Amino acid sequence: MMKPQLHTSVEIKDTLREAPLPSLVRIPIEPLHKPVVKKKQLVSCGQVIAENPAKGPHGTGYVHATIDGMVEDILPQAIVIGPPPAPKEGEEPPVFERPEPMADIDTYKGEALCRLLLELGIDTGKFRPSRTLVINGLNPEPGVIVSELLLKEAKPILERGVELLERAIRPATVYLVVAEDKKTSLYSCTVVTSTDRYPHTIDPLVVHKATGAERPDDVDVISISDLYRVGRVGQTKLPLVEAIVTVGDGVYRVATGMPVRELLDATDTPHGKGWQVALDGPMRGEPLCDLSVGVPENCTAITVVQEGLFPQVGPNPCFNCGECVLACPAGIQPGMLSRFVEFDLVEETRSRHIAACLDCGMCAYVCPANRPMLQYLRLAKQQLAAKDAQLAECRLSD
Amino acid sequence: MAQAALPKSSLTVTSAPFWHCGRTLKGMMTDTLIALTPAMAMAVYQYGYHAVEVLAWAGLAAVLAEALAQKIMAREYTADDYTALVGGLLFAFMLPATTPGWLVCIGSALTILLGRMVFGGYGMSPVCAPAVGWCVMTISWPDLIDINGMLLNWDLVHPLSELKYFGLEAVAGLSLPSLMLGQNLGALGAEQSLMLLLGGAYLIARKQLRWYIPVSFLLGVFLTAQLYHLIDPQRYAPPLFHLFTGGTMLAAFFLMPYPSASPVWRTAMLLYGLFGGAVLIIIRTYGIYPDGMAFAVLLANMFTPLFDLIQPKPFGGR
Ligand code: SF4
Ligand code: SF4
Repeated sequence: MMKPQLHTSVEIKDTLREAPLPSLVRIPIEPLHKPVVKKKQLVSCGQVIAENPAKGPHGTGYVHATIDGMVEDILPQAIVIGPPPAPKEGEEPPVFERPEPMADIDTYKGEALCRLLLELGIDTGKFRPSRTLVINGLNPEPGVIVSELLLKEAKPILERGVELLERAIRPATVYLVVAEDKKTSLYSCTVVTSTDRYPHTIDPLVVHKATGAERPDDVDVISISDLYRVGRVGQTKLPLVEAIVTVGDGVYRVATGMPVRELLDATDTPHGKGWQVALDGPMRGEPLCDLSVGVPENCTAITVVQEGLFPQVGPNPCFNCGECVLACPAGIQPGMLSRFVEFDLVEETRSRHIAACLDCGMCAYVCPANRPMLQYLRLAKQQLAAKDAQLAECRLSD
Repeated sequence: MAQAALPKSSLTVTSAPFWHCGRTLKGMMTDTLIALTPAMAMAVYQYGYHAVEVLAWAGLAAVLAEALAQKIMAREYTADDYTALVGGLLFAFMLPATTPGWLVCIGSALTILLGRMVFGGYGMSPVCAPAVGWCVMTISWPDLIDINGMLLNWDLVHPLSELKYFGLEAVAGLSLPSLMLGQNLGALGAEQSLMLLLGGAYLIARKQLRWYIPVSFLLGVFLTAQLYHLIDPQRYAPPLFHLFTGGTMLAAFFLMPYPSASPVWRTAMLLYGLFGGAVLIIIRTYGIYPDGMAFAVLLANMFTPLFDLIQPKPFGGR
C-alpha cells in the first residue's frame, strides 16, 4: 500500500515531448456532431470530418482529421481513420491537400472570432462575453502536470490565447490562479495564488479563491489546457489536431484520437492484466475497459494504477467515522448521503445539500471503509436529475 | 478458470477515484491494538495472571458474540477487522483484574450485542459500546466489579474511592508519577494513564485519530477540575489528579472518539469533548460512583446529534 500525495504542484524540469504519429486514430465525436465524410474517403490532416450543426458562435467545436489517411469507420462515438490504401501498380500515391492557414485570423473579433474558433475545433461553449474569466493555472489533479508544464514551456502560446480571448469575448477581468511558489504571470491577467493541494485545484474552488464568491453565475473558468488550445490555433492558424497529455512523468503532444494502447506503448508505460487505466487524473478520471479508445482532445492525462496498490473498494457499511465530512470541500456529509442512496432514499439527499457536491472524490479517497462514495453520489445526482426532467416534461404536457 | 479464459491484456476496471489514502478499518484497529499494548503490558505486570485471564476472556467472548450475532443476522463475518476484539479489550480495561471469568464473558458479549449488534453492527450505534457494557455490569453486578471490593488482596488504595469517601487528605500522599504509572488500585487498563496517553499519541501520530476530541476532552476535565479546585482547594482535588486517575485517559483517546457515537464536524467535536470532560468531573464530584467515566461518555454520546447540528454552510448554499 502506498500513501499518495495530494499536492499537485511540481517543479517542472522536462519539456513538452512529442508522441509518435499514429497510423490509425479513433477520433472521439459527440452525439451532436454530424459526420461529413464517408467510409473509404481519403482525408488529410486538418480536414473537417464532423460538424456541429448549430449555427451560433458558442458551442462544441468541429472535429478534424488528425492524420492523413482513409476513413475506415464511422461509429456513434468515434470516427476511425486508418492508413491510406497502398497505391496499385503504376498509380500515383494519393496526394493529401492540407488546409491553408487562416492568415486573416487577426482581423476577426467578437462573435465572428468565436465562430471561427469553433470551426477550427475549439469548444467555445465556455467563452461567454463580458464576464469575469478565471484561468485555472493549477495542475488539475495530483500527478497531472500539464498545466504547470504548459505555463513554463508554452508561455507565448498561452499569451496568444489570452489575446485572442480578449478579442473574442472582452472579459471584464481575467484572473490567473497559480500555486503559491510559482512566480508566473500571463499578459494582462491578475495573478492570484492558491494552495496546490487537491481538491483546492478544482474549478469551483479556484473561482472562489479568485473572486471570493461561491458558485457565482457571472464567472467563467477555463483550464490552462483550454487556453493552450486557443493559443495553439491562434499560433498555427490551423485547425486543432492535438491533445496535450500527461503520461507517467512526461507530458506529450499527441495526435487527437491516438489509441491509448499505442500511447502507453510509445511511452513505455506498463499496462495490461492487473492494471487500471483511466482517461484524466486519478481522482476523477474515466476508467477504460478498452485500450483501443482514442485520446480525446481535452484529455489531460492517462492514469495507470497497479491493482493492489490501494485497498480494494467494496460495498462495505459506513461506520460513521466522519473522515469524509472533514475531507469534503463542499461542507456536506457524504457518508450520510451515501447511506440514503444505499437504502434507496435518494429523495432525502436533496434537503441534505447533495447539490453542493463538487464531484471531487475526496470522500472516497479518505473513506476507511473503502466505500464507492463517488458512485453513490453520482447515482443520486443522476436519479434526481432524471426525476426533475420527468417532472418538467409532465408540466409541459399539462 | 474464468480468469484463464480472459484475454491476456484484460484490464482491471473500477471507477474513480483510483487512488486511496490507504487507511482502512482493519488498519485503524490494528493500530488501536498496538496503542493498547503498553497499557496491557503494565496491567499484566501489576496484576499478573489475573489480568491476562480477564483480557483473554473479554476478547474471546466479544469475537464469538459478534460472530454469533452475524450468523443469526445472516451477515458476513467481520472478526478479521478486529473491531470486536478491540471492543472486548476496551471493556476489559474498565474491570478490576479479579473479575470472575463468567462475568467478563457476559459483559463482553453484552458490549457487542447491546452496544453494537442491536443497532446493526460496528459503526451503527449511537453510543460507545464498551461504555454500554460497563454500565450494564455496574448496574447488574455492582459488587463483582467494584474496584475496592474485588482487589482486597492488594494492599493499595483506589484513588477515586478514597477521594470520594475520605476526602482530599486521603489522596494527598499519592504522587503524580504513581498515578501516571497505575501503581494504585484501579481498573485493569484504565488506570494505566501514562501508557494510554502514549497509545493515544501514537494513534494521533499515525493519523488514525483526530486530536479534536481527545484534546478538548482533556481540556474540559482540566478546566472543570480547576474551577472546583479554585472554589475550594481543601475539598476538591487538583486538575492533574483527575487527569491521571480513573478512566480519564481511556475515555479521552479510546471511548469518547468512538466513531459512530461522536460528532463529525470540527466545532461540534471540540464542544463535545469539552462537554464530556466537564460531565466527567461533575459526575465524580456529585455522583454515587467514584469514577462514572462510562456514564460521562454515554451522556456525551446522547448529545452528539445536538452538537452535530452545528454545521458549516454547504458550498454555494444560501
Ligand atoms: S465528491 Fe465527496 S468530498 Fe467531494 S464534494 Fe462531493 S461529497 Fe464532498
Ligand atoms: S469516511 Fe466512509 S466510513 Fe467514514 S463516515 Fe464517511 S462514508 Fe462512512
